[in-house]
Amino acid sequence: MAAQETFFGHSLKVDKTRCLGCTTCMRSCPTGAIRIRGGKAVMNDNKCVDCGNCMKVCPHKAIYIQQDDFALIHNYEYRVCLVPTTFIGQFEEKFKTREIYACLKKLGFTHIYEVEHEVEYIVELYNKYIAKHPEIRTFISPYCPAVIRLIQVRFPSLVDNIIKVRAPFELAAHIMTNRLMDEGAKREDIGVFYVTPCAAKIAAVKYPVSNKETRINGVINMDFLFNKVQLMLRGSNNNAEAINHSLTSRDILWPLPGGEASLFNGSHYAVDGLQNVLNFLERLEDEAVDAQGLVEMRICDQGCVGGVLATNNRFVARKRLEDRAHLLDKPDRPLNRYTRYNNPDFCKWIDEQMEIDEITPHSIYKLDDNFAEAIKMAERMKKIEKALPGVNCSACGAPSCAALAEDIVRGDADISSCMFINRHTQASEDAIRDIWGDRIKTRTITNDNNE
Amino acid sequence: MHYTFEIERGNFTDAGQASSSVKRTLKHLGVAPANIKRTVVALFEAEINAIAHAYGGTIDVDIDDEKIVMVVADTGPGIPNLDLAMQEGWSTASPEVREMGYGAGMGLPNIKKNTDDLKIESTVGVGTTVTMTVFFA
Ligand SMILES: Nc1ncnc2c1ncn2[C@@H]1O[C@H](COP(=O)(O)OP(=O)(O)O)[C@@H](O)[C@H]1O
Ligand code: SF4
Ligand code: SF4
Ligand SMILES: [Mg+2]
Repeated sequence: MAAQETFFGHSLKVDKTRCLGCTTCMRSCPTGAIRIRGGKAVMNDNKCVDCGNCMKVCPHKAIYIQQDDFALIHNYEYRVCLVPTTFIGQFEEKFKTREIYACLKKLGFTHIYEVEHEVEYIVELYNKYIAKHPEIRTFISPYCPAVIRLIQVRFPSLVDNIIKVRAPFELAAHIMTNRLMDEGAKREDIGVFYVTPCAAKIAAVKYPVSNKETRINGVINMDFLFNKVQLMLRGSNNNAEAINHSLTSRDILWPLPGGEASLFNGSHYAVDGLQNVLNFLERLEDEAVDAQGLVEMRICDQGCVGGVLATNNRFVARKRLEDRAHLLDKPDRPLNRYTRYNNPDFCKWIDEQMEIDEITPHSIYKLDDNFAEAIKMAERMKKIEKALPGVNCSACGAPSCAALAEDIVRGDADISSCMFINRHTQASEDAIRDIWGDRIKTRTITNDNNE
Repeated sequence: MHYTFEIERGNFTDAGQASSSVKRTLKHLGVAPANIKRTVVALFEAEINAIAHAYGGTIDVDIDDEKIVMVVADTGPGIPNLDLAMQEGWSTASPEVREMGYGAGMGLPNIKKNTDDLKIESTVGVGTTVTMTVFFA
């Protein structure tokens, strides 16, 4: 593919030894980020939004999420584990959170901090942002990083509708490091590790939209940690408290659909699932829906319990979180329960830390910066698309005939890679070999070979 | 560049195909989002009118480096009183059309608002041709 400036980085990788180039992932990618080259799936970093869909659909488990080496935690004297409630939802209810946290401590963490403890203040920040922007009618939640990226690349006209507030894990990380530093810890001795349900959150930590400093030192994949803890739980009945163990029922429900919206008093919408998100954004862009207020959006069906690294069935995890929430009889708790939040200087500082300065559009559609050139390319693309068979077989290594037409005008593919167009020439034989590699059996091409 | 689309009478389900195809092209061309939005809103309304109030027709789209011109031509009853039709809230939409969620009488006013140039030629009993222009700069 043509060399281009890279805006995004990703932790999603293709395991070339497992990938069979079956095209399943390519056809399911919402941004057309995947092509088959050399018989394997290849991702375009600027198009991928880390939705995790390719990984969910891959029948060969060939797509994986790179993670930080767990041993990294031992580089720090204070080892904080930031636990989202999605993690708790993975476990059967007979296990108390205290037992789960005891296992995390056994694994080497010194402090457990529940991320959703801070979400009420996140909603406060949303409210402040909304109050400051009377000119905006529809506010899109910044919570799901895959949604932010999807808007940047596919719906650039909506970037200004995103609330410019960083994620709850960042707030939790700031609060926790400050707390430890107040107790005398040195900044460089504190390591904060976030347990992620998805690839999008890893990208949000490692390649943030905002260029502000992150206080997250590493990210741990939820499935990895779940396996470890699950094994330990079987044989133990230890107890350990989270440093901030006082979640309300609404905090617990935050990662589920409607979790943000339920803490928000004004007009709100809650959209979950990739297809629903795409449809809603499409309609917002066309002004075909008039959504006034907060639009909560989660790329995953059922929200974060549907994250690609959440081991258990999302409906089961949802039920477990709802049951755990019901066990807590106090849904509400006075806001600003920390004395910290009563300090205006602290609030001013933390509000600044939590602000995203800018979300830039990175359209994946634009063919050329020069308009006249772009028109020429679009015209050619239309002609090529007409000439292609329209069966979307993907044998050319592109997800659809339209995508191949686009690749051709961009100089990333050749028309001879379409098997329908050019079946019996050496050029076609070479092109097919480039796409499909050694899997394709050699055959001799002669001029009268047109059976 | 030039595009042609067919509009089928009474087919609300497929409505919007022309405007989404135009939207995709304008995104490929790197047209400013605000102008894409104006274009799509106007074209969609004109398409719906040809489906709802007339007997279908054609859409012709021409794009050059400074503007997009969209001509929506239908065979249909025509518009007897254009001034009235242009008024916000005026609608002769049938109950069936209203049931589909259209017929608020805001279509033509919205087209006017979102385009830089609007020409409506209509002959009662023959048809209506709506010509809309959006400039990119
Ligand atoms: N293509 C058309 N053919 C015939 N009548 C039309 C056409 N377009 C608009 N009209 C008339 O103008 C009225 C107002 O149109 P519009 O502002 O789009 O509102 P609506 O479609 O909601 O009725 C319509 O109710 C109809 O009487
Ligand atoms: S993570 Fe999503 S956007 Fe990225 S390549 Fe996979 S399916 Fe496409
Ligand atoms: S919905 Fe949650 S788990 Fe899924 S991509 Fe978004 S943040 Fe990650
Ligand atoms: Mg109308």
